[in-house]
Amino acid sequence: MHGAAQSEARSADALLDGSALNDVWIHVNARDWRDLHAHYLEDTYYPVDFEWQGVNVRNSGIRVRGDTTRNGQKPSFRVDFNRYVGGQEFLGLDAVVLNNVWLDPSMIRDRLSMLVFRAAGVPAPRQAHVRLFVGASREYAGVYAVSEEIDEKFAAAMLHDRDGYLFEFHRQNGNPWGFEDPGPDLGWYVPRFDPRTHQTASVATLYMPVRDLVEAVNRARPSELERDLAEYLDLKTFITMLAVQNFVAQTDGLVSGVGMNNFYLYRYAGTRRSMVIPWDQDNSFSQIMMPPWQQLEANVLTLKIWSEPKYRAMYLSALLDVADLAASGWLEREARREYDQIRDAAYADPFAPYPQERFEQDQALVKQFARERAAIVRQYVTSLAPELLAARRR
Amino acid sequence: MMSFTFLARLLDARHVCVTRIAAAGGAAVLLGVAPVPASAQITFTFDKRPSLEIHDLLTADLRVKSQSDFRDFPEEPGRDDKALFDLHRARVGVEGRFLKRFDYEVERELRDTPRPWRDVYVNARVLQDLDVRGGNFKIPFSLDQLTSGMDLDFNYRSLAGSFLSPGRDVGVMAHGRLLHDIVRYQTGVFRSGGDNVSASERTDPQTRRTYAVRLVVRPWGGSKSRKLLRSMAAGMAYTNGDLPEGRNSLRGKTVPGDPFFDPLYVNGRRQRIGAEFQWRPSSVGLQAEFIRTRDQRLRQGMEDENLPDALARGWYLSGTWLITGERKKDSIEPARPLFRGGIGAVEIAGRVEQLHSSSDGASASFTTPRSPLIAPRTDDVWTAGVNWYLNDYLKVQANLIREQRTLNGQPIAGLEHFWSRTLRLQFGL
Repeated sequence: MHGAAQSEARSADALLDGSALNDVWIHVNARDWRDLHAHYLEDTYYPVDFEWQGVNVRNSGIRVRGDTTRNGQKPSFRVDFNRYVGGQEFLGLDAVVLNNVWLDPSMIRDRLSMLVFRAAGVPAPRQAHVRLFVGASREYAGVYAVSEEIDEKFAAAMLHDRDGYLFEFHRQNGNPWGFEDPGPDLGWYVPRFDPRTHQTASVATLYMPVRDLVEAVNRARPSELERDLAEYLDLKTFITMLAVQNFVAQTDGLVSGVGMNNFYLYRYAGTRRSMVIPWDQDNSFSQIMMPPWQQLEANVLTLKIWSEPKYRAMYLSALLDVADLAASGWLEREARREYDQIRDAAYADPFAPYPQERFEQDQALVKQFARERAAIVRQYVTSLAPELLAARRR
Repeated sequence: MMSFTFLARLLDARHVCVTRIAAAGGAAVLLGVAPVPASAQITFTFDKRPSLEIHDLLTADLRVKSQSDFRDFPEEPGRDDKALFDLHRARVGVEGRFLKRFDYEVERELRDTPRPWRDVYVNARVLQDLDVRGGNFKIPFSLDQLTSGMDLDFNYRSLAGSFLSPGRDVGVMAHGRLLHDIVRYQTGVFRSGGDNVSASERTDPQTRRTYAVRLVVRPWGGSKSRKLLRSMAAGMAYTNGDLPEGRNSLRGKTVPGDPFFDPLYVNGRRQRIGAEFQWRPSSVGLQAEFIRTRDQRLRQGMEDENLPDALARGWYLSGTWLITGERKKDSIEPARPLFRGGIGAVEIAGRVEQLHSSSDGASASFTTPRSPLIAPRTDDVWTAGVNWYLNDYLKVQANLIREQRTLNGQPIAGLEHFWSRTLRLQFGL
């Protein structure tokens, strides 16, 4: 039976639920593997067979991906199952990302963050770790985080919507943006919002609703934020996402000193309503003492949320919800489980940029963060709004 | 023969002055090449084209070739629209003979800045049945490819002749005629695999030599009793060369010039075999050709294993009829040129052809550049044309072309039938 057909009977959870450290084997020609590393700055696709647990998805395509993590020593990859064979899927997925966890010595920050998002009810991609093997000799290529892509299938499964407009946000160096109104020129949006669906649609079709959203955010009255934005944004989910990001101290997300980053924007089909989806949260779980309202004033929308008591309370409450989740011990247990799962593989990783000592140090930091962050966030919230915590305890 | 003085009368005084200066300059250059006796005679003539002759030391004929196309190609999804006008060819060159035993040709394409040189070679008559040619010229393979672009019966060469033959390269070739012109042979060795290959192969430093041989037999070539059969010729050709490892498979294209074959990873040898037939009884011309190529794919699999060879084949069958009665040959000369009491020569032409790629093996096929089995692709083309030879210099060609493309034996969705119309205005000197 063909590999793709075999995989249809199984769910992507088997690969992505993180219950085990899976092995993935990329069958790739030796010359292609060399070329791919030599030309890692290019997005050239190479043909591969993708094998997992005896399922071989033949004639897939692989290319190097990533921005700041892109390198020729241990590249991140996008594996596209229908690059050469139209309609081919693997576990119901069109593609997966193999993340090199290059900037994260602990190797688990992104995965752990996505887990918290999902636990808090924010749609976020599933992730797990794998050991990657390549070539005819099954050479070990290191520990990777395998992630589902944010694409049409993700939207259908997580947002229960099909045929919407999905954009990957690209921050422009030197031009930080935090929802300020750039003016009527749709061309401003083109380099920032990369369409991942409906790529051939006109600029007006793609970007006028995005511009409408930005204008609405700037026009909205802080006291009537939910009502003024109801047509454009799922504000409640946005606030929850903001709370999770600030709980895990993600310093390169919706709010930062250099503008918004690391998110997708999904506009529901037939509407002007959008949803923000988190991506690439590997800066998290470091600054354990970071105030959970850091940099909120640097963004038009988060400033309006923060400055209006009603929405500030909503935000702080969302923070406490995440803190409750973590305080149960779940987050630390998860951090420990992931550590145990990948430790031996990480030690053996021939291309990891950090020594084993650094891995252990960062793992200890992440575990400490997972253990202690809830209490710290609660203290912050109590210092600002003691009645919220008190009401919760009653 | 039109003398230089007659030519001068046709031009005004200023042009004559320029011509004389240019001629004097050219002659000075040529005289500097070889020692010329004081008694050497320099003559200019204009018999079809300007010619210079320096006694029996050197001749030089100026050649000018121009082809302007008006094209109406259908819009295709995912393809760039083609411009209506295309300056297909704009070449200048010099050809001639020196020291009696040597022929030469130098030709430059003015449109092609990165690779302007076409035929640049010297041909030496070594023995009665042996010539040796050295330089840059067409590798002896494919009748259609070896036919001058100015003498084609259709606006475009057959797809097989265009994309499965090697084209030009730098090399050395022995050629000649045997058995009273019944057998013609060409065999040579060339620096690489020709210029009619992918850019990646052309520029690959790993590229190595290609060997070629072509034999054409004219069984009745010398017959005086069977005049109709005298022009009948059949031949075979073969090339064998090393392929640089990479995505260097042969590039098959459609009539409008878009890629049709997927570029595949290849490594090893490339072999071509071709069969050709030509017969030109009186004003009728019949021509056919079959070409098959085989590219090895050593260690090109996902596991570095050898893959089945990549195959391509092409064939065509064409027929022409000069309805004004001239005899069919390479360069048609109207019996009654336009403006000189006639309408020129008119010829109708038809061609059916196919270009196909696949691999050894059967059953399911895939479409990656490293697939063991390659999805079979076929482009079937029918061409109908009218050629109008106004005089010895001008020619107008109109073609109506129908293409049908299939993948895995099924018409490619949305690309079942293509109609193209092309009109060419040609000037040759």
